[in-house]
Amino acid sequence: MSRLQSWEGFLLVCLIVIFGFNAVLTPEFLGIGNQINLFQLSIEKIILALVMTFIIINAEIDLSIGSMMGLSACSFGYLLQLGTPAPLAILICLGVGIAGGFLNGWFVARLGLPSLVVTLATLIGFRGLARVMVEDRGIGDFPEWFDALGQQGLIGPIPFALIAFVVLFVLLYVLLERSGFGRKTYVIGSNRDVADFAGIDTARHKIILFTMSGTAAAFAGLLYAARVGAVRGDVAAGFELDVITIVLLGGVSIFGGKGTLVGTLLSILIVLNLRNGMALLNITGHIQTGVIGLLLIASVVIPRLKLAKPRAIKPEATA
Amino acid sequence: MPTAPTLALRGVSKNFGMTAALTDMTLSLFPGEVHAIVGENGAGKSTMIKIMTGIHQPSSGVLEIDGAPVSLNGSKAARLRGVAAIYQEPMVFPDLDVTENIFISATSGLFLNRPAMRRAARDLIARIGMTLDVDRIASGLTLAEQQAVEIARALSQDVRVLIMDEPTASLSAHEATELRRIARHLANDGVSVVYISHRLEEVFELADRVSVIRDGRHISTKLVGETDPQTMIAEMVGREVGNYFTKMPSTATTETLLSVHGLSVDGVFEDISFDIKRGEIVAMAGLIGARRTDVGLALFGMLKPTAGAITYKGQPLKITSSREAIDAGIAYVSEDRRKLGLAMALPIRWNISLATLDKFLSPLGLINTGAEIATAWGYKQKLNIRTPNTEIVVGNLSGGNQQKVMLAKWLNMAPDLLIVDEPTRGIDVGAKAEVHALIRAFVAAGGAALVISSDLPEVLAMGDRILVMREGRQMAILNHDAASQQTIMALATGQKDAA
Repeated sequence: MSRLQSWEGFLLVCLIVIFGFNAVLTPEFLGIGNQINLFQLSIEKIILALVMTFIIINAEIDLSIGSMMGLSACSFGYLLQLGTPAPLAILICLGVGIAGGFLNGWFVARLGLPSLVVTLATLIGFRGLARVMVEDRGIGDFPEWFDALGQQGLIGPIPFALIAFVVLFVLLYVLLERSGFGRKTYVIGSNRDVADFAGIDTARHKIILFTMSGTAAAFAGLLYAARVGAVRGDVAAGFELDVITIVLLGGVSIFGGKGTLVGTLLSILIVLNLRNGMALLNITGHIQTGVIGLLLIASVVIPRLKLAKPRAIKPEATA
Repeated sequence: MPTAPTLALRGVSKNFGMTAALTDMTLSLFPGEVHAIVGENGAGKSTMIKIMTGIHQPSSGVLEIDGAPVSLNGSKAARLRGVAAIYQEPMVFPDLDVTENIFISATSGLFLNRPAMRRAARDLIARIGMTLDVDRIASGLTLAEQQAVEIARALSQDVRVLIMDEPTASLSAHEATELRRIARHLANDGVSVVYISHRLEEVFELADRVSVIRDGRHISTKLVGETDPQTMIAEMVGREVGNYFTKMPSTATTETLLSVHGLSVDGVFEDISFDIKRGEIVAMAGLIGARRTDVGLALFGMLKPTAGAITYKGQPLKITSSREAIDAGIAYVSEDRRKLGLAMALPIRWNISLATLDKFLSPLGLINTGAEIATAWGYKQKLNIRTPNTEIVVGNLSGGNQQKVMLAKWLNMAPDLLIVDEPTRGIDVGAKAEVHALIRAFVAAGGAALVISSDLPEVLAMGDRILVMREGRQMAILNHDAASQQTIMALATGQKDAA
């Protein structure tokens, strides 16, 4: 945890400042309803950001998550239309996520293709499949219990999505920061050849990570279907970029090997509260997006300014 | 011989920090001569080339062109003065054709006169006495043809000094002959050709004069007729500093741990046979390109043998991955710390536990951090790794301490066979002695080690027996008593056949 503490500290300060501003400027901001609402409206991206943290620390990228969300949501609608019972449809959708993620991982790890290209291809492919299934229609009329899961509180005012997030965060935190699997995620991302020489099955590891990512995206797609109560072919289009933005803002290095899940969590909270605060001040979504963009640039520039200080590395003798 | 040298070094020294790479180097190159430069790995040849081609600036001394002192800032400045270099691996742009490659740096201006460029390219190719279609794409050319393209590129910039650094190391015998013909052709044309090679026979075939350098110093310059291979080898290895490592007594037992028979990898190395006993260090000597590292990789499962048999602990050994090698008790300490050895951006502790992570995992797969810290701290004490704690990023350590972290990583798996590739490259003398002692202590405790080294004093200080390789072949396996720097170098350069 001592790693990158300064960056996470910086994020924490940012968060407190934003929180303070929001609370002063708009009294309704601090209401529990607003805070829960805030989370619920973005829950899919939040869950995806947690898994994307693993992928980017591993020095890969998964651009197909938005499309996989769409594919999962549309599959759900399509299957219900065909008369499939909802619980079975849910299982099938999760299966689609597992299969799609495995496919990405297999191409990347076994064939050695760049994940940028592979997942760009599946971004297009998954979206195409989703659109073929639902065409130009919207599909709704989901069972009442399913919609309720996405729209109402499960325990008091706390919705299912928030509970799912907390459980996932704890599990993934332990996995990344405490387990051998997490350690390997860092090492492979830092230097894959070194990991290979140390006897780590790096290809298998990458396949597992991409499968996790696909599964999480399918799960997020179902959450979306439940929250909105209807699906269309363009569900979650472009989500991948928002998710990657959150992760990078959280201090995860796009070159792999560096970053923490706590950083990602802080980044999620910053983006949510910043957008919410601006929305409550009637600042338009376009300007909100611009501010997030500036923040991302700052997240890349500020650590570099720190590194610009001369580092005390003993020069190696040159043969 | 004409009076003014085209290019001359006058008392040039070059220091990197505390390390002197070149000391008081003096050398003159005349037009029309092929001037061979020979020396051991690390003798300072590369540094000298880099000074001649403007990549490094001398710390002291003068570089002269046509008798006038010059300072070359960068390779572009050197090319403008007519100095160019080609290397073992040709630097061509694989997707461009021959013409475009030749005129790659001449393409200033917005529009190219392609027909004129093609004509000029054809003339240049003809000038080096080759036939080559100037429209062919570079990636489809053989290595020798790519080198010809590089030479033509140099000629297009009116080269007067052409430095060829190990140009034939990756070429077939036929291609090498062709390249030497080109080199001679250029010299007859008035170019000064600097020819650097480990192959003494081609030095004697091609060169007019030969200079020996050693430990960054100029030792001799002679007409080839005035010297012979034995003299040259003696000059290459006879360092005044002597054997600054003393050989520790052998601890070899009678139990054979590893036995290799006729091991080959097609096109890489062939017919390697040796064995290692518990308690023994076998050192592998040879020059760059002798393929010693590949033998190590084959024993570690990272390179698939195409013929031969390995017997290990009395059983046939069949491994196809590093995981299987590690499970069998074989460790491989790479020569390339940065690329293959250490995750430089991660802490010491993480690197030390890397190959043995399973040892630190609970049944649920969680890391027992306490045990991990204790282990890392134990190695810090035992191997004398100079660092305040084990959470520091490995990249911030000195070379010697990085080397110790790498050793710790592999020692922690308690291997039976330790393969160490260039155990002390780029680390200071004190750390070298410490690393040597560690490896000796490891075998004395019942392990066995295969030490690959290009450093002859190190080979002699460590090897109970010494296996000499040359160009993928095993030249000899010598007992320590029968080995000297001269015999090893003679075998490694092919001046002496297998004993």
